[in-house]
Amino acid sequence: MPQGKGDARDSLRIVDHPAGVDVTGDLDRVVRCSTANLDTRPVMPDADLVLVIDDEPQIRRAVRDALRDVTARVDEAANGMTGVDAASNARPDLVVLDLGLPDMAGVDVCREIRQKSAVPIIVLSARHSEHEKVDLLNAGADDYVTKPFSVLELAARAKAQIRRAKTLAAATTSGGPVTIGSLVIDTVARKVSRNGTQLHLTPIEWQILSTLLASAGRTLTHQQIFDAVWGRQFGSPQQYLRVHITNLRRKIEPDPAAPQIIITEPGVGYRAELSR
Amino acid sequence: MMQARDVIDQVHVILVYLLLVLGASTSGERLLAITLSVLGFMSTAYFFQPPYGSIADGKPLDFVALVAFLATAIVATHLLTRAQTEAREAEARAVEIQSLAKLGSETLSAGRAADALARIAEVIQTTLGMSECSIMSWDEASGFRAYAGASAGHADSDDMLLGVLERAAPAWVRASGEIVSGPSGEHDAAALSQGEPIQKIVIPLTVQGRVVGVLRLSNLSPVQLDLAKRRFLDAISYYAALAVDRVRLVAEAEHAEALREADRLKDIVLASVSHDLRTPLTTIKALAQSEALQGNRSAAAIEEQADRLTRLVSDLLDLSRLKGGGFAATPELNTAEDLVGAAVRQTRGLFGDRPVRAIIDLDSPALVGYFDFAQSLRIIVNLLENAARYSPPAQPIELSAMREGDMLVFSVADRGPGVDEGDAAHIFEPFYRARSAAPDTGRAGLGLSIAKTLAEMQGGTVKYARRPGGGSIFSLLLPATEVGVEALEQSA
Repeated sequence: MPQGKGDARDSLRIVDHPAGVDVTGDLDRVVRCSTANLDTRPVMPDADLVLVIDDEPQIRRAVRDALRDVTARVDEAANGMTGVDAASNARPDLVVLDLGLPDMAGVDVCREIRQKSAVPIIVLSARHSEHEKVDLLNAGADDYVTKPFSVLELAARAKAQIRRAKTLAAATTSGGPVTIGSLVIDTVARKVSRNGTQLHLTPIEWQILSTLLASAGRTLTHQQIFDAVWGRQFGSPQQYLRVHITNLRRKIEPDPAAPQIIITEPGVGYRAELSR
Repeated sequence: MMQARDVIDQVHVILVYLLLVLGASTSGERLLAITLSVLGFMSTAYFFQPPYGSIADGKPLDFVALVAFLATAIVATHLLTRAQTEAREAEARAVEIQSLAKLGSETLSAGRAADALARIAEVIQTTLGMSECSIMSWDEASGFRAYAGASAGHADSDDMLLGVLERAAPAWVRASGEIVSGPSGEHDAAALSQGEPIQKIVIPLTVQGRVVGVLRLSNLSPVQLDLAKRRFLDAISYYAALAVDRVRLVAEAEHAEALREADRLKDIVLASVSHDLRTPLTTIKALAQSEALQGNRSAAAIEEQADRLTRLVSDLLDLSRLKGGGFAATPELNTAEDLVGAAVRQTRGLFGDRPVRAIIDLDSPALVGYFDFAQSLRIIVNLLENAARYSPPAQPIELSAMREGDMLVFSVADRGPGVDEGDAAHIFEPFYRARSAAPDTGRAGLGLSIAKTLAEMQGGTVKYARRPGGGSIFSLLLPATEVGVEALEQSA
């Protein structure tokens, strides 16, 4: 099945399944194909493509509805295998992956997609476990939403991930100063100023900040930040990361008691937020 | 006789008599054998030893030999009869041991432990020839329970058989650990041991010093229990005690197994509740919210109720974790500021316009502690939600962090009505809801009990205090620690 990205009528596309897919699942898809075609809203030819990997047809539908304001182009895959294939073949702009697929562990799906593609991955999970989040983020997932999710939250995160992926390339090559509110960060000159006043960061604080900024909008696990700042050979002082972050916040955050630039993902890691 | 005296030597005569005596003693008759010995001695002395015709006159030397003959005969008789008695006893004991061993193996391998008790009662009854025998097990929970052997001849009704006094006897025996026996069952421990005829007897059954039940025997007329039977009773009552104990252990094991099964089932149900309810809830919430965003008010109500169901489901899961020890905390080095910041961020917008005012001393070095960040955040968010729920909308909520001794103290202060004296002692119990609380908050009432459990797992606690000037202060205490400047610089 040809899957050109510019097909304007392709408001809902079905990803090819390997042999042996159950008939009821396909039937369900056929029915919803017809309802999807009734959706008369215009679809932009270059609209972003989102791939939803979920074995529950109802949740796929809910996700598609939730992303109504993000994009109208949604691919669906009912299991991990098809999902991994579609992620590399259809070249989506975002993958929404539900855990608890019948054929593959979520961590493995993340890892396999990440081997072939840098597409942002948002994970949906019924469990609220920090360990699971850490494992998924370390395996290459970019964000994490707990079921039952808020439509607005999922849409916001989807938008943020798509935008981040698109601007990442441009931002890393330009190397220009980053402005967050009254804060100006010059990544080349390694200088940070607020309202024109130069701030003094220790080398480690600077490294932490630039690591977070390089992946702005993406949650980095404690381990990922630590590896980037100290390198793998260090073992012990990982725990001091949190103290350094607190000190860094006192310097750059307008209100360190309510951080808005470096966000804590409880039990998981930190994320730099630029969109203000 | 005169002729024979010349032909037969005195020694031959003695040997013939000795044979007769030994023959008599093998027959088991000690009296006959001794009589024969004495007769033999006297006739040999009289007839075969010169001067003939008298027993002891003028026979100094040979008489000694005759006396030796008499002594030999008597001793031999004694030894033989004793050996025979012992052989008979040994045989009886062998039979006894054999029957006990058989009974032991039978009872301990009986399919149901209760069957084994009935079987033992039956064996005791037939062996001792009593008309009725029953074994009564006893435990705290269910009191006495009787296991009767086959009763010979009477209706098997305890109440008909036993008078008031006798019905009390088992309890007395159990409590005292002493035997009750006698013609009618009154306390008379001596009657049994003295071998007097008895009609009723109640014996305590003891395992490792614990009385696990009693053995009750009765007969229509008084019977005398000889030593062998008393010994048998002694041995078999030990088996009976073991069997009673086994009945108890089997029942306990079955009960524990049933509990385990129920617990396992509960876990499975809760796990599937978690997964199976969340999937439809996700769909309902997402679709309803999408509709609600288009202005559909019914959809907004559906979404609200889906949220409420979700909270109840997670409360249920928390309850199962609370009981099953499913909560885990991994304390790590964290800063108080980070925790306060995360709590402020997580609750932003949840309480309408009401601000959460964070109070932190930014001039001193950052406060550090050793705690589980995610679990501690749950606690603080829970305390903040409670404060928002129970205090007037216009009043701000304050969240402060400070160090007191070797603890970090996170305090959530509101200007609500506070907690009544009577409620204050119970607010940390699961499902407790203060009398003044809103009747329907859509929560199971687990928040504070879970908060406290989570805090205690990290070496901290949660406390309540009335706030001066009105309101409540809920405090989370967590272990504080220090980070040396050098250590921090070394890591930099």
